[in-house]
Amino acid sequence: MVTAIRDHLPVLVVVAPLCVSFVLPTLVRRLRLAEGLTTLIAVIGLSGAGYLASLVLSGGGTSTVYSMGGWPAPWGVELVVGSAAALMLLTAAMVSLPAVLFSVNHLSQEVGSSNRAVWFYTLFLLLYGALAGMAVTNDIFNVYVLVEVAMLSCCGMVAARTDSRAAESALTYLILVSLGSALLLGGIGLIYIITGHLNMGYASQELSRIWQDYPRVVRLAASFFLVGLGVKSALFPLHVWLPDALSCAPSPASAVLSGLAVKGYLICLMKVLYNVFGGSLIQQLALDKIITVLGMAGIIAASLFALAQDELKRRLAFSTVAQLGYALLGMGLVNASALTGALFYMAAHAASTAVLFLAAGAIVTATGKKRVSELAGIGRKMPVTMAAFTVGSLSLAGVPLFAGFVGKWNLLLGSLEAGNWLGAAAVIVGSVLCGAYLFPVIRAAYLEPAPSDDKRQDPGWLQKLSMILLGAAVIILGVMPGPFLKLARRAAVDFIAVR
Amino acid sequence: MKIRDLILKRITTLVLPFIQVYGFYIIFHGQISPGGSFAGGIIVALGYIAYATAFGVDEGRAVVPEKVTTYAESYGTLWYALLGLVGIAKGVPFLANKLAGIDVGVPGTISSGGLIALLSIGIGIKVASTMVSLFFTMLEEEV
Amino acid sequence: MLLNKLLINYPYFAAVILFAVGAVIVLTRANLIKKLIGINIIESAVFLMFAAAGNIRGGVPPILDQTSPGRVYVNPLPSALMLTGIVVSVSVSALALSLVYRVYKAYGTLDARRIAEMKSEVRDRW
Repeated sequence: MVTAIRDHLPVLVVVAPLCVSFVLPTLVRRLRLAEGLTTLIAVIGLSGAGYLASLVLSGGGTSTVYSMGGWPAPWGVELVVGSAAALMLLTAAMVSLPAVLFSVNHLSQEVGSSNRAVWFYTLFLLLYGALAGMAVTNDIFNVYVLVEVAMLSCCGMVAARTDSRAAESALTYLILVSLGSALLLGGIGLIYIITGHLNMGYASQELSRIWQDYPRVVRLAASFFLVGLGVKSALFPLHVWLPDALSCAPSPASAVLSGLAVKGYLICLMKVLYNVFGGSLIQQLALDKIITVLGMAGIIAASLFALAQDELKRRLAFSTVAQLGYALLGMGLVNASALTGALFYMAAHAASTAVLFLAAGAIVTATGKKRVSELAGIGRKMPVTMAAFTVGSLSLAGVPLFAGFVGKWNLLLGSLEAGNWLGAAAVIVGSVLCGAYLFPVIRAAYLEPAPSDDKRQDPGWLQKLSMILLGAAVIILGVMPGPFLKLARRAAVDFIAVR
Repeated sequence: MKIRDLILKRITTLVLPFIQVYGFYIIFHGQISPGGSFAGGIIVALGYIAYATAFGVDEGRAVVPEKVTTYAESYGTLWYALLGLVGIAKGVPFLANKLAGIDVGVPGTISSGGLIALLSIGIGIKVASTMVSLFFTMLEEEV
Repeated sequence: MLLNKLLINYPYFAAVILFAVGAVIVLTRANLIKKLIGINIIESAVFLMFAAAGNIRGGVPPILDQTSPGRVYVNPLPSALMLTGIVVSVSVSALALSLVYRVYKAYGTLDARRIAEMKSEVRDRW
């Protein structure tokens, strides 16, 4: 039994959350049970991801290949647990567990009723299963299906609150993102038509052999993938839906959406670009330049937008767009250090942004105050929440000993290695800007006097625990990034190695 | 939403069995002919939706209560996943068919395909119940 | 020459036209329902492209028939993939329609521009 579970872990990490999410709708009247099951799955997911990561680490970075249904590669669907997949599984589990813990005992008041809370857990588990699937799959059509599942569940989670703004922003999100899915499917179709394969490895081999016969089709397919997945992962000029969606969603949903969902799409983009097209083809098509420029523009522009926002969640949402720019920049530089930085930064940002959104949500729930200008003195009334917020901000601003620094440092090295001084400048300026829009919140919270009439306090112990867990993860990732960094480096080397 | 029309009701009751049988036929023959669980499930649901349209939502709801569609939706998909786990229980990959020792029969006959026929039934149930519940969600305006 | 190419590849050509039509509808129409219809048209364009890619002229449906071996079968994979795509598009449409309904109840209009105006009136300017 134990060996069976161990051998089939690559598929079980995907199927287990999905199975539970199928059952949850029948438990709408039993919120406690639903919460328990969701937490259980998050814990199982964390241990499964940890085990797979330790396998990858101890195996020297070799990937485990799992053929669905016993059908080998060119015919069947392949799951590959390599370093990148292990890193993403671990990140997903690391952020999901605190997000679930934060939701327990709390979600019903945010979404209105316990029925809706159970539906929220259903969507959450669907999203979690889809993210795990995106991490492990090696088949481009599978990517499409999982991306759609994730998109639908995200959309449901954004619309979970009953107010009209939530429905409106979810609809905007859905319309933009389904345009993206159509483009993504078009890209998959073009790749399938010219290569005859959906498996990434086989498609890549075929593509490198024949791409010169179809230069325009390859270019078109690459741009379809870039724009299609770019809309979904809110890359800079295509981010218009993100601020509204994130500020309207319940706080665990914003944490997961900003921390994981957009990262999942980005990992898919990275897999498609590097595993299907391959590094050298990206450079020959000049895609790397486009991606780098988009990344730099995203870092600077979105940070400037963030400075102008007064609503805390919107400010954090623009910060998400800016931080995604870092990952994009790392992707465009096509060298191992930059990719390591991008991958590690995705994990670091997932934890940091999740803790920021959870803290922001806790503040809104406790005080009803959404704006930065209203937060004076809140640090003394909600010490744990603001401490967690501070940790997250320091990490995003790239202060040493916090998670974000390690990623940014590697990105900086990567830009210098690629001779891209503008990229290096963007990394530094972005960090300064990040400090400029996050530190005023902390200053207001700690240094300004609180209006005396307020009675504010930290949320319940589960919510505090979840923020402490995430804050601890951010610090651990910053102080001893060892395993994560090793996974990221190996994943980067693997990505680069595909021609 | 009520349409009081005797002819409509009579014809619906007459046609309904054929629609349902056709839907199930397509579901069960998914492994040997075009069609399959999604198309068949939709047809089954359409038959039911025709009934609910002709006889009114309340009467439609009386035949298939909300609970039934919810449970059918959940367990239809769970059935699929559990069948996939059969492979794992036998020590072969998820969703394995012939490898898991399931009899795949003679190609071209209805008993062929092994697991696929069983999977089709689960998906058919899921699709039919989802379509029905979507129909009612849209009608009862409690989105 | 070009015309000849177009005639041979007419399904792809049709897919491109459909895609453009859908994109224009999504981008220029303010009505939310029309936007959804546009998305559906774009999706059908992609489905058409896939289905055309699987077709082989003179091929028969890929059902194994032992009485007449050696026939050319069309590629069933793209059609099977598109069935999945259709399922996805149905669920997207269903979710989108229910959201449209909620938006309509809240704002009393289906016009995206008017909704945006109302939203900016509600939200304080900062």
